[in-house]
Amino acid sequence: MTIDEPTLPDLDPVIHAQARLRVVAALSQLNGGDRIAFPRLQEILRMTPGNLSVHLRKLEEAGYVEVTKTHRGRTPATLVQLTRRGRFAFEEYVAALRTLIDPGEEPS
Amino acid sequence: MDPSEALDLIRQERANTGRALTPDPRLMYWPWGLTWLIGFGLSFLRYGPDGRTLVALPEWVPLFGLTALMIAAGLFTGLVGARSGRSVSGPTSRQGIWYGIAWSAGFTGLAVVFGRISEVLPEHLMGLLWGGGMVALVGALYMAGGAIWNERTMFTLGAWISAVNVVGVLLGPGWHALVAALAGGGGMLAAGLIGWMRLR
Repeated sequence: MTIDEPTLPDLDPVIHAQARLRVVAALSQLNGGDRIAFPRLQEILRMTPGNLSVHLRKLEEAGYVEVTKTHRGRTPATLVQLTRRGRFAFEEYVAALRTLIDPGEEPS
Repeated sequence: MDPSEALDLIRQERANTGRALTPDPRLMYWPWGLTWLIGFGLSFLRYGPDGRTLVALPEWVPLFGLTALMIAAGLFTGLVGARSGRSVSGPTSRQGIWYGIAWSAGFTGLAVVFGRISEVLPEHLMGLLWGGGMVALVGALYMAGGAIWNERTMFTLGAWISAVNVVGVLLGPGWHALVAALAGGGGMLAAGLIGWMRLR
């Protein structure tokens, strides 16, 4: 390794996996404080419930996603949202991607 | 997955989610555009400029037509809006509900005031009072909606409606209905199309 070589940022391994990146990108489109029902998220992402659950659990373990079980009237509902930490991690991830594509550009 | 693939995927997924959670602008604007085009169009034909009757429709047709179409459009767009907002809860849906209440409160308030004034107003000015007042409210509420959701199309539509409303009122009874039908209704049809093309 030479001194001149620009240091390239590491990509967050929790986010840098196709399925989880799609989940995080979709959730990042929600306004802050909004939660989306699990079945709707599943519909938007075209994932099976099992598949989506697995990825959400992983994101939850990293503290990026909050899954809330609640009731809407009498029917139980599962609501999903990006945590502040998750939103920040996603922004950092996007900045890192930009730096990898164009290392001259300072991440802002 | 290389960085540019990842960025593309993010762009796609965000756009896709945005489309899924935003009501189709065509379904939100076109019912209102048609309502104005037909409702104010009938009013222009029956109560034309300078007291002329261009088409001898029964007197009750314009007001009945406009009211019936407005109720239909209100129910339809309310359902479409509620459907797209279903399964998202939080500040955004509360904003939508409050905004909807503002529309109802504004219309109710104006209807009460205008109802009282109409008792003493000469017949030929009634249409101008109701038409001009309601269109002014719609223009202002669309501008407010544009400000709330940072929606340029909605804000521009509101500004356009507010401006053509003033022009129509200054031109006088009859002309106002024509301006509201063509420029107002047409503006809503255009906003639906532009909003839809932006979302695609």
